[in-house]
Amino acid sequence: MTEDPEARLALIISELKELSFVAHRDLTAALPALEAHGAETVARWAATGRDLFLHDRDGGKAFLRASPGLAQDVGAVDVWTEQARGFLTFRGSWKALTAYLAAFPEAVLVLGLNDARRWGDIGLEWARRHPESGAVFFETPVTDLACGRGFAGAWEVLGPLADLACERGLPVSLALPGAVKIRALLGTEALMAWLTRGADVLKAGRLRGEAFFRLEGPDSDEALMALFPGFRTAEHERFLVLITHAALGVTPALAPAGLAVGAPAFIETDGRVLFVPPAFPTREQALAALLHHAGHLRFGTYERAVIERLFAAAGMAQPPLDADQRITWRPLFAPFGADLVRFQVLFDLCEDFRIDARVQALMPNHAARLLDLAAIRPDGPAGAYFDLARQSLRVLAGPIPATGPWARLIAPEADLVTSWVEARALYEESALPPLCLACRDAAYLPGRSPNHARPVYPRATLHEKPEEPDADPRSTPPTDRVAARPAPVSAGHDPDLELAPEDTSGSGGRVGVGKPQPAAPTARRRRLRPPGEGLPYPEWDYRDKTYRRDWARVVERDLTERDLACAQALLVRHAPVLHRLRRAIQAEKPRRIAPQRRQNEGEDLDLDAAVEFVADRRTGARPAPRLYRRRRHLLRDTGVLLLADLSTSIMQQAADGEGRVVDRMKAALLLFARALEEVGDRYAIAGFASKYRDAVSYYPIKDFARRLSPETEAMLGGLSGRLATRMGAAIRHACVRFGESAATRRLLLILSDGRPADYDDGGDERYLHEDTRMAVKEAADQGIHVFCITLDALGSAYLERIFGRGHFLVIDRLDDLPRRLPQVYLRLRRGA
Amino acid sequence: MRGLIDRLRGVERDIVQPPDAGNGPYYEPQGSEIAIFEAAWRRRLPVMLKGPTGCGKTRFLEFMTHRLGRPLVSVSCHEDLTSADLVGRYLLDGESTVWQDGPLTRAVKAGAICYLDEIVEARTDSTVIIHPLTDHRRRLMLEKRGLEIEAHEDFLLVISYNPGYQTVLKDLKPSTKQRFVAINFGYPSAEVEARILQNEVEGLDAPLAAQLVAIAHKARALKDHGLDEASSTRSLVYAASLIAAGLPPLEAGEAALINPLTDDVELAMALREIVKAHLLAA
Repeated sequence: MTEDPEARLALIISELKELSFVAHRDLTAALPALEAHGAETVARWAATGRDLFLHDRDGGKAFLRASPGLAQDVGAVDVWTEQARGFLTFRGSWKALTAYLAAFPEAVLVLGLNDARRWGDIGLEWARRHPESGAVFFETPVTDLACGRGFAGAWEVLGPLADLACERGLPVSLALPGAVKIRALLGTEALMAWLTRGADVLKAGRLRGEAFFRLEGPDSDEALMALFPGFRTAEHERFLVLITHAALGVTPALAPAGLAVGAPAFIETDGRVLFVPPAFPTREQALAALLHHAGHLRFGTYERAVIERLFAAAGMAQPPLDADQRITWRPLFAPFGADLVRFQVLFDLCEDFRIDARVQALMPNHAARLLDLAAIRPDGPAGAYFDLARQSLRVLAGPIPATGPWARLIAPEADLVTSWVEARALYEESALPPLCLACRDAAYLPGRSPNHARPVYPRATLHEKPEEPDADPRSTPPTDRVAARPAPVSAGHDPDLELAPEDTSGSGGRVGVGKPQPAAPTARRRRLRPPGEGLPYPEWDYRDKTYRRDWARVVERDLTERDLACAQALLVRHAPVLHRLRRAIQAEKPRRIAPQRRQNEGEDLDLDAAVEFVADRRTGARPAPRLYRRRRHLLRDTGVLLLADLSTSIMQQAADGEGRVVDRMKAALLLFARALEEVGDRYAIAGFASKYRDAVSYYPIKDFARRLSPETEAMLGGLSGRLATRMGAAIRHACVRFGESAATRRLLLILSDGRPADYDDGGDERYLHEDTRMAVKEAADQGIHVFCITLDALGSAYLERIFGRGHFLVIDRLDDLPRRLPQVYLRLRRGA
Repeated sequence: MRGLIDRLRGVERDIVQPPDAGNGPYYEPQGSEIAIFEAAWRRRLPVMLKGPTGCGKTRFLEFMTHRLGRPLVSVSCHEDLTSADLVGRYLLDGESTVWQDGPLTRAVKAGAICYLDEIVEARTDSTVIIHPLTDHRRRLMLEKRGLEIEAHEDFLLVISYNPGYQTVLKDLKPSTKQRFVAINFGYPSAEVEARILQNEVEGLDAPLAAQLVAIAHKARALKDHGLDEASSTRSLVYAASLIAAGLPPLEAGEAALINPLTDDVELAMALREIVKAHLLAA
C-alpha cells in the first residue's frame, strides 16, 4: 500500500478497469464531482466503491452512481463514505445501501449532519441484523419519521421498535411503516399499545401479524378502533341509526369504510349503504355527518329518475352502469377537464345545501350544528369554498333571507338537477380559485363529504315505491326470494304428467307454456309424496275462501347435528347476560310469593273474606269458609312452546356484525332454555322448515316433559338452516303438540327472520300470509296465544296482518336477540 | 264558581255525580269518535275505547259524559278486582248486616255511564258479570242476594283497553270483545296535538307547542326499535307544563319525555338529540 492518495486512486481505477467496464466507467464519471473534497477523501471514497463492488456488485454500482449527487447536495463525503463501509460487513446489503444513499440527503436536511449520521448508524444496525429491515428503514421517509421534531421525533418511533425487537423478536421491517403512520395519527402513547398488540397478533399467526402491521384485517381494525381518538362509530352505531330513524325516517345501513389513516372523516355511500369512518373528531360531527348523509338517501340525491334527468341535462343519454349495475359519475365531470375538482366541489356544495335545508326542516338545529363545526377556516384556495358554504348555511340557520341560488335550492321542487344547474352558474360566474385534488378535502365543511366518491346503486323513486329500500339491509340481496323460487323442472319429464290430479284446479295455464303465472300458490311441478307419510293439515286458500283439505303434510323429524362445544362456547360468551337474567328471575321470585286471598287454609285471616263470610252467614246464606290468606309460590300455570324458523335465510351473514344469524338464534334459544329452567315454567322447543306443501318438517328439540339436558343443548348448538318457511302448517302442528302440556295458559312463541314463504307458493306472498293468519286464529280458538318475534326489520309491514296488533315484536338489532328473547317471554308472562 | 269548586276539593262526594253544568272538560276530536259515541249512546250500545296509553281515552269519556249530561262512574281495574268489588257485598253493622252496592250496581241503578278502565287487568270472573249487561238483556245479576236488576234506561257501559304486547296472554276473550262498539284511538295529528297542548297548558306559545309535537312524532318512529310505549300526548302536556312552570326546556324534556320512556342508554341518547334539536331551536 502506498501512502500517496493519488497513487492509491490510480491503482483502484486500474483495478476496476480490469474488473468491470461499468464500474470503471461510473467511477471515472463520478470523479470530477468529488475532486474538490481532497485527494485523501477521494482515495478513501474510491476504495470504498471498489470494496463495495467486490462485496456486492449491485451495491458498489449504486454507491458509485449516487456519489456525485451526494457530494453535490450534501458534501460530507467522509461521513457517508464511512457509513457505506458499514454495508461491507454483511451479505445481501445492496438494497439497503441503495435506499440509504437515496435517503441520506433528506436525512441531512431534516436532522442535520450529526443526527443524520446517528440515523444512518441505527439503520445500519438494523440492516446488519436483517438486510431487509435495513432496506425498509432507509426507505421510510425521514420527514415522516422525524415528524417535525428532529431526531427526538424519529426516536419516538425507533426506540419502542428497538425495544420490542429486542424483547419480543418483533421484525422491525414489518412494523416500521405502520408505526410511522400510527404515530402521526394517534400519537406516541397509542403507538406503544399498538406495537405491543401487534407483537401479540404476530405470535398468534404470521399472516395475521403481517396483515396487522399493514393496517389491514380485523385485528388491526379492532386495535385501531380501541386506540382511535374521538367519537368511535362502531361503539355508537345503534345510537346513530336510531337518531336518523327518528329524525328522517330512514334506517341507513352502516358499514365501516376501512381505515384511511390521516384522511378526513368522510362518509361515502353507494346509494344503499353508508360507509362511515371508524371515528369522527367529535360526537357533534358524527351526528351532523350522519344526518346529512341519511338526508342524501332520504331526499333523492341517488334516485334513479333524478340521476337520469341529470345525465340528460348534462347532455348524456344514459348514465353508464358498471358490472354491478352501479352508476359511475365520471362521464358527468369529464368535460370539465383540469378544472374538474372546482366544479365537483361547487356541485356538491349546492346539493349539500339543498339536502341540509331539508334536514334542517326536520331537525331545527342541524344548520347551527354544521356552522359550529365549521369554525376553523382552512388555508389556501379551499378557504374560499369553505366561506361560500358557511355563507349559505347562515341562510338556513339565521334570519338572513335566502336569495339567488340558495332560494332556488330551498324551493320544495328543487332536486339534484337544480343543484347541477346552480353549480354550473356558480362555476361560470364566480371567481373562486382553482382547486387541486390535494386541497379538495379541505373545501368541505366538517360533516359533509364528496357525494360522488363511489359509484352508486340508483334508488327507487320514493313516489313510486313507498317502502324504503334501505330500511332493511338484508332486503337487497333477496336470498329468501331466491330460495323460494320454484324448483326447476327436471329434464325429460313432461310437467303436465307430473301434475297431481287435484292440482289442476285454480288459475294459471299449462306449466311451461307462456308466462309464469304469479298467482299460482301451489305446487304444479312435481309428484306428491306417497300418502301416509306425515300428518295432514288443511290450508287456507284466500282466493276461494275455503280450506284445502289435507293440503299440507307435516313430518316430525329428528335433528341429527349435535354440537355441544358450540353450545357451551355460546353459553360462555353470553354468561354475563345469563347471569343478569338469573338475577332478574330471582329478584322476581319473592314478589311471586304474593298472598293468595280467599283460601281454605293459610297463615292469616283474610279480613275482607271473613267479613263477607260472617255477613253472608247472617243473611242466611251458607257461604264456603274461604277465610284465609296464604303465602306460597303462585304457580303461574303457563306453558310455552317456542317454534323456531329454521329456513335457509338464517344461515346468512348477520347484517350488523360478525357471524351468522343462526349463531344469535342458537344463543337466544340456549338462554331461553336456561332462563325457563330457572323460572320453572313448562316449555318445549321445536324448529320447522319446509319444502313444498307435502314436506313440512317439524323438529322437536325439547318436549314439555323432559328437563333441559346436555343432549338438548348440543342439539341447539348444532342448529342450521334449511329450506323454506311454511308457517301455517307448523303452527297447526305445534298446537297439536300443546296437547302434551296441561298448562292452562298456553303461549306459542314463534321466532322467525322473515315472512312465510315456500317453494311452491308461486311467488304469491299473500297465499301463505293468509294461511298463517288463519292458523293463528285457529290457535286462538283453542286457547293458545301466538306471539311472533321477528328479526326482519320490515316485519311490522306484514306481521300485524298475520298476528294482529301487539302480537309481534320486531328485534331489528341482531345482537340484542339473545338478551331480548328470554326477557320478552318474562314480560309476556308477567303481564298475565 | 272557582271558589265553590275549591271548597269542594278534599271533601267526600258520592261517586254518582251529575256533571257540572258549566266547565266542560276540554277535548279535541281526532275523527268521528264523538258521532260514533253519540250514536252508540242513543242505542245504548256498550262502548270499548281502544288505544295506547295517554292518548286521551279517559278525557274523551269525561267530555262525552259532560256533553250528554250523564254522571260518570269510573273504576280502575286491577289484578285483585273481584266481582264483589264491582257489584257489591254485605257488610256487618252491629248484629246485623247491610248490603252495600258496588260502583257498577250504583251506575246500573242511577243510569250513569260506568267506565271500567283497563278491564284486561281485572280477574276473569269480573269480566263475566258484565256479559248480561252488555247484550239485549241489560241486566245485572246480584248473585248473593238472589236478585237481578234491569238497568236504568240511561245506563251505559264503557270499557277501555290498551292492546300491547305485554298483555298478550291476558287478552280479552273474543266473546267479551264482540259485545262492544269499539272506537280506536291513536295519537292525534300534529295540528290537533299542538292545539291540545296549547289548550292544556296556559301560556304555551305556538312554536314551542309545534316543536314538542315534532319531538313526539320522531320518538314514535322509534317504537319498533326498542321503545315499548311511545311518547303520549299526556307526556307532552307534562313537558309543556314543566316548561311553563319555569323549568329549562331541555330539562323538562328529559324529565317528561325521555326518562319515563326508556332505560336504554342509546335510545335515551337518541331521544335527547331529538329533544335538543327541537327545544334549543324553539
